[in-house]
Parts: sequence; C-alpha cells; structure tokens
Amino acid sequence: MTAEKGASACFLVAMLAALGLAVVYWQGGQNQLEGILLAVTSGGIGCGIVLWAKHYMPGEEVSEEREPLASSEEDIEAFRRDFEAGETSLRSRRFLLASATGALIAFGGALLFPIRSLGPRPGVGLKRTPYAPGNIRVVQADGKPLKPGELPRDGVVTVWPEGHVDAPDSPTLLIRTRASQDFQPVAGREDWTVDGVVAYSKLCTHVGCPVGLYQAEVGLLLCPCHQSTFNVLEGARPVFGPAARSLPQLPLAVDDDGYLVAQGDFSGPVGPGFWDRDR
Amino acid sequence: MRVRGRLLAIAAVGITTAVATPFAASAQQQPDQQVIDKGARLYATGCSSCHGSDGGGVEIKDGGAGGPSLQHAGAAGAYFYLSTGRMPAASSTEEPKRKEPAYTPEEIDALVQYVASLGDGPELPRLDPANADLAEGGEVYRANCQACHSASGSGGALSYGRAAPALGSATPEQIAAAVRVGPGQMPVFGPDTLSKKDLNNLVRYVRYLDNPEDPGGLPIGRTGPIPEGFVAWMVGMVAFIGLVLWIGTRAPIPSRKPKEEQP
Amino acid sequence: MLTRRLARWIDSRLGTAKLARTVLNKVFPDHWSFMIGELALYCFIILLLTGVYLTFFFDPSANLTTYQGSYEALRGVEMSEAYRSALELSFDVRAGLVMRQIHHWAALLFLASIVVHLARVFFTGAFRRPREINWMIGVTLLVLAMFNGLAGYSLLDDQLSGTGLRIVYSITLSIPLIGTWITSLLFGGEFPGPDIIERLYVIHILLIPAVIVVLLTAHLWIIVRQKHTQFSGPGRRENNVVGKKMWPTYAAKALGLFFLTAAVVSFLGGVFQINPIWIYGPFDPAEVSSASQPDWYMAWLDGALRIMPGWEIRAFGFEIPNPFFPGVLLAGMTFTLLYAWPFLEARVTGDYDEHHLVDRPRQRPVRTALGVATLSFYTLCFLGAGADVLAQTFGLSVNAVLWSFRIGLLVLPPIAGWTTYRLCKELAARDGVPVASQVRMRDIPRRLRRGSNAA
Repeated sequence: MTAEKGASACFLVAMLAALGLAVVYWQGGQNQLEGILLAVTSGGIGCGIVLWAKHYMPGEEVSEEREPLASSEEDIEAFRRDFEAGETSLRSRRFLLASATGALIAFGGALLFPIRSLGPRPGVGLKRTPYAPGNIRVVQADGKPLKPGELPRDGVVTVWPEGHVDAPDSPTLLIRTRASQDFQPVAGREDWTVDGVVAYSKLCTHVGCPVGLYQAEVGLLLCPCHQSTFNVLEGARPVFGPAARSLPQLPLAVDDDGYLVAQGDFSGPVGPGFWDRDR
Repeated sequence: MRVRGRLLAIAAVGITTAVATPFAASAQQQPDQQVIDKGARLYATGCSSCHGSDGGGVEIKDGGAGGPSLQHAGAAGAYFYLSTGRMPAASSTEEPKRKEPAYTPEEIDALVQYVASLGDGPELPRLDPANADLAEGGEVYRANCQACHSASGSGGALSYGRAAPALGSATPEQIAAAVRVGPGQMPVFGPDTLSKKDLNNLVRYVRYLDNPEDPGGLPIGRTGPIPEGFVAWMVGMVAFIGLVLWIGTRAPIPSRKPKEEQP
Repeated sequence: MLTRRLARWIDSRLGTAKLARTVLNKVFPDHWSFMIGELALYCFIILLLTGVYLTFFFDPSANLTTYQGSYEALRGVEMSEAYRSALELSFDVRAGLVMRQIHHWAALLFLASIVVHLARVFFTGAFRRPREINWMIGVTLLVLAMFNGLAGYSLLDDQLSGTGLRIVYSITLSIPLIGTWITSLLFGGEFPGPDIIERLYVIHILLIPAVIVVLLTAHLWIIVRQKHTQFSGPGRRENNVVGKKMWPTYAAKALGLFFLTAAVVSFLGGVFQINPIWIYGPFDPAEVSSASQPDWYMAWLDGALRIMPGWEIRAFGFEIPNPFFPGVLLAGMTFTLLYAWPFLEARVTGDYDEHHLVDRPRQRPVRTALGVATLSFYTLCFLGAGADVLAQTFGLSVNAVLWSFRIGLLVLPPIAGWTTYRLCKELAARDGVPVASQVRMRDIPRRLRRGSNAA
C-alpha cells in the first residue's frame, strides 16, 4: 500500500469514527466508546497528516545563518542617545521625580491593604477547641453521648464535643485498651481516663490528617498520610514517622448520668505545628 | 494481581454458599447439645493445643505453640476465623492469613456452637440484605473502615509489617462477624457505637465495593494517584515518546568535531 | 480564491506579508527529542479546551446540599455543591465524564512532558547562553503547572482532594512567623476554611492559566528569536541552523503531532478510569482513607514528608515544625537550584560563550552525573510517597520501606552519579567523542566560591 493510500485511509477512518462518535452520543452516550472514537478520530487525522508530511512534503534540509543576537554597537548607541535625551528632562526636576516615585510606592502599599480582608487574624482559634469550657459531653457523629461501658475492649470511636459535631478541629478518638495491655498514663494525667477509656485528638501533629488506623493488638495509632505512629499506651507518644509531638490528650470524666465528658480542653493545641504554638 | 483476586473471589463465593446456608439455618435454632458435643470433639483434636483444653488460652513461650483465650470469642469470632481459613493457623506468632477453610461447613457449625458455649462473646450478627441502604453503608464505611482498608476496600499497610486485608473476598457474614469481633489488629465495633442497622448497611456497601460501577473504564485499582501515575508514564508517556520518534528524525548524531570542542 | 482575497485584505491593513513569509521559511532542526516540549504545549491546549467545557457544569461552592443524582451509593448523602456538581458531571452529563478524564490525563501528561523536556534541555546543555532566560521561564512554567494541577484536583471536594488541601494548609502553616497569617488569608480562616474552593477555582481557571499563556508565548517567541539549538553534524555550525522549513513540512508534522497527542489523551480518558471521586466520598475533616497520595508530580513532596524523620526545632516557646523542612525548605531549594543552574554551571566551567550546538550527555560527564544523581534523589522521594502501597503490594513492613528510603536518599545519589560519570567516560571513549568538560568533581566547590579562574 502506498503512503498516499495509507494517509487517505487514515482520514477516512477519522471521518467514520467522528460519525460513530455522533451516533454514540445521540444514542445516550457511553464514556469508553466516546473516548476511543475521539482517539480514533484525532489519531486518524494525526497519522494522515504525518504520513503526508513524511512522504509527500519537501524533506530536504535547508541551512539558515544565525544572525548575531546582540544589537549592533550603532543601534545601542542610538538607543542610548535617544533615551538620555528624554532622561535629562526628567532628571532636571529631581524633586518631582522623587515625589512621584514616593507616590507610586505609596500606591503599591495602599493596594496591599485589601488583601487583609481575605481572612481573619490568626488567633486563639488555632490553640483552642470547643472543649475548652469544660464538662462538655463527648458525642458520636449522630449526637449520641456515650457511657464508658458502651465502648468494648479494643474498641475505638470518633467523638466530638456536644453541640459541635463536625467541628473540624475537635474530632477525638475514644479508645478502650485491652485489660492485658500495660497502659501507662502520662505523669499528671492519672485521672484523665475512665475505666480504661482514653481520649486523644484525632488530628495528627504532623500535618493534621485524621489518625484513623488503630492497631488494637499492639496499641498503636498509625496516620495513613505519612505513617506517623503513636503509642496509645504511652500518652500517644510518636514512635515512628515524621510527627514530632504526642497527640494531645483529652481529660475524660463521667457526669452524674454516667456519660463521658471532657473535663476541659486538650493537653495542647491540636493538629499541625506552627511558629508560636507554645506561646 | 487482578486475576488472582478474581479467582479468590470466585472461590470465596463458592465457599459462602456452602458455609453460610447451613449456618444461617442453625443460628436461628436453639443450641443443639449433640452439635456442641461434636464441636467439642473437633476442638479437642484441632484447637486445644493452642487455645487450651477449656478454651482458656495458652501462653506463647519461646516461639512454641500458644494462643489467646476463646472465652470472649463468641460465635462471631469462631465463625470469622474458621470460615476464612485463618484458623487453624500454621504458626502461633505470624498473623493468620485467609486461606481455604480446613473444616467442612458442618464441622465449622459444630465448632462455632461449641466456642459460643464457652463464654459471653459476640453472637453472629443477623443480616437483612433486603433492607440495607447502600449510601448509608458508605457513610459508615468511610467513617470507620477506610482508614485501614482504604476507600476502595483494597486493604492497606499498617505499621511494622502488619496489613489490613483487602475486603473483596469477604462474605457478608464474615464482614459482619469481623466488625463485632475485631480480629487481629482490627478494633472492635460494638452495638453501642455501630448499631445493627449501621452494620447491615455497611455490609451491603462493602460487598458493593467488591464490584462497583466503573463508568470511567478500566478501574486500575480505584486507589487513585499511584496506579494513575503509573499509567500516565507507562502508557501515556511511552506513547508520546513513540510518536515523536516516529515523527522526528532519528539520524545518529555524529560526534562533535575536535576543533569545536568547548572547555 | 477567497483565502487570497482575505490575505490581501488583511495585508493591506496590517502589512503582514513580509512577517508571514519569514514565518513560513523559518528553519527548525528536526530531531525527535526537540518535539517533547511541543507535547507539553499540545497537552496545555487540550487542557484549555476540555477545561472550558468542564466549567460549564462545575459549581465551585462549599454550600451543603443533599445528593439526589443517579449514583445510588451516594444518594441522600450530604455534600458540598462542588462535589455534587462533579458527580453530576461524571454520571449525568452526557460526555461529561470522558471530558473530565481527558482533562485529568492531559494534566498528568502535561507535567510529564514538561519534566522530560526539562531533562532533555538539561542533559544536552541547551540552557547555556543565550538561553538562560528561556530556561528560567521554563522552570516557572513547571512550577505554575504543578500548582495548577494541585489546585485542579483540590477543587472537587472529595475525600482525597480535601486531604491534599489539608496537607497544603499544614505545610504553609509551618512557615515561621508568617505561616499562620498566610494560611488565614489563603483559606479565609482555619482549615478547612469557608472560601478555599471558590478561591482555588479562580486560581485554577483564570489566574494561573493566564500567566501560563503569557509565559508560554514568551517561551515560544524567544525560541523563534534565538532560533532552535541543534546537534552537531555535517554542515552544522554554531553560526547556522540546519533543518526543515516551517512551511509545509514542519507545520504539518506539528499539526499531526497535536492530533496524535489528542488521540493519546482521549484514549486514556476513555479507557482508563482516573480519580474515581465517587469511591472516595465527600470530604469530611475527620476522615481519611489509607493509601492517600497526591498526583504524581506532587508525590516527591509527599514522599519527602514521609521520609523525613520526626525532628523539629523548638526554642523559647517558638518552633519550626517538621513539615517546614521537606515541604518548604526542600521545595524552595529545589527550584532555587533549578533557576540558578545555568549560572552556577557557567561559573564552574568558566564558559560564558554562546552555544547553539548542544551536547550529547556523554560529552559532559560531570553535568550528566550530577543530573542523574539529582534525578535519583527526587525519584526516591517520589517512590517514598507510595511507601504504604509498596509495603502492601510486596508484603513488606512500611517502617522498613521508609527506613530504606531514608538511607537510600543518602546513599543512592552518589552511587548513581558515580556510575553515570564512569559510564559517560566509557561511552565517550568508545565512540571517540571528545569529552568537552575538563572540570573535576572535587574542584566544583572551590570553583563555585571563586569563579572558574581560580582553577
């Protein structure tokens, strides 16, 4: 088959495929067929053109001289003269030039102010969660409060402060460790657990992904984003990966009705670190 | 990988129909002492060396045989481990893997009833597929399961060599049992944090994930950027390079002449 | 006849005939590796075309709604308008999904073509005088393309894109002194922020594409102005350019390549499912899936985040958080080094001359070795982003995999560099190609400090 026949066959196939595409679309559409027919259409046109170019268009190499890129000295000199002719008239009014420059800088500065409207001043919001007032029940996603006994051994559930379900900074993991596991409370947090139930912020201290993987057998929490690993039995201390800080712990207690409550806010700001986190 | 996954799935479907039907029937009956006795005999020969003659467990010493107590395993625990072939395990120290069940469905039924009689473990959850809501199941799945098993149900790595298995080959009964039992590294989801209705919906979604709609074409794992990047380079970029090789010239480049050498 | 009259009509008003004739007779050296940049250009055109189509259906809004579309597994689920409209585009708009998939595949290949093009320019030394400006424009285009890709896949508000945005937020937050301010202004508050999707939309469809169009125009104009480089060969000198004329052969080949590029991405878009957002579900800040990765061109940063040991600097109640080092410092150093490379190389070699004949990689063992070493570093970072998937696929411990990457990042680049250096020397000797570079590796630090005259 000659290249000419090949190329025109390509164009013909492209036409048929375009027709097919129209039919497929008109019949209700089918993604795979649409993609393939589109590919055949454009591929046919592309192949046809390339075959045409390779076989029937002038293929001989031509040579072209490269002109020097830089301008000639005369041109540069002429430009310099013309520019300086104008420049002297500007220079002669030095004060005017200085004040105009100042005004332009001020203009640029003034334009920066509207940027401030883009967001609020970062403040205590980064360091506090809705748990802060204390004695707030922890509730499940459906708003249901929990008694300690309702969480089975090896169990884990995500909870929020009551009235703030889905608050992005306060998802909390309630974990009930195994009887056989040697839970060692952090010094000063001996009364932060209730009946083997411990609560940590679900947000990784690395870049804030929800630390969702609880390995019950070994008491480890693993972050699926960057594999930071925290030991639940030792105050959620980081044992592997890029996270450098423990998951903040929530001081738990039970209220008069036997439901789990937070005594106060987390042991530290939740989620990723920032410059003045500890100030 | 895909082919093997398919085969496993087909094998699993075969097993389910064989296993689940008699079990589902017996679950509704009162415990039958004859069946429990049969289970006890099977237990004594097949399980007691690791789990103890009374199901109280045997401590693992120096790599010897040993295993946990079964007093809280319940029907769900026994059913999950036996029907997925994870028990009996070849080794006491390695994480048990899914394989062909060692017992017949009747034997599993007997063992399950025997283990259930040992203590207060979870019952096998009753499922009602006809009334399961797929979308609500998806919400339960994403809230509780995808962190380990991945959004597509293809499983995922845990720390220190452990892994959450792919869910494709799990039967509805096995999924439900696993949720209540928390086998291996998996946490336990009790009825107070994941209701019966949630569980029923969840099972439907997990089964759906085994063969979901793929309107976009070949699913390439449904796990996102890694297989996509692989296809982009290995199919797309290879095709691109092939095209420019075809269109552009490939004349060998002669060596540079010494007189034009640059420092 | 009509075209002739039209041409004359235009010429009588604009006087374009002379310019047009220059364009027709423009000579392009014909080598397959010179067409890779064109691939990137064509991907960009396809991105514009498909992207415009997508904007007709996409609703960049964080307002909550309940899905009632045709995908059963999400019906009744609460989600943002952005995610809902992306689902509708995928399931209920005829040809919507195939357009979305072509757009996404074209984006992956746009970046891949840019990177291969950059490697081609680097390893052949085509960035040397007088092409430093175009090199820097090219690097800028790479950065913009990366950010626009990120902005694009973050728009849909599915679980994966939300997770990606959260990581972007946290990396930005880690910048000392100004991190909290930048994130607040960018996201309109604390993560997830009420405004980020609308803002990303404007950034993705207007701001960055406009800058890309301007820079692309400059990139191409500079190529025309400076004339393309060529490999040396019979009749090819520093002061000429040998190749095919623009009209008709080169133009036809270029047009053919455009259609073939479109064919490849259409094929991918039709046959391979990409970014199945319906499986990921709507974004919820308390949820994440295992095996969450960014698109391939951001993966090296994600991998660097994973490989980084758990160190951070704390003093006097202030801290430099861990993500700053891989996320900001490494990224900043990477692009600074890329921008500065032509000048650094000239300083070391003392070669400030114009070059229009490009090198073969083997002629420049030191440059090639450094390039391969650097590439091996970023390839390891890239693979590090898949540490969990690698561990799962090959039954390994994810901790062991990450430790191998930590060690590999220190060990592999020198080995790769040294091997490349030896290989270049061998190949050059076998081919009888003179080795152009006389610079020794150990002289580089001194030459960088004092300039090449010190050598």
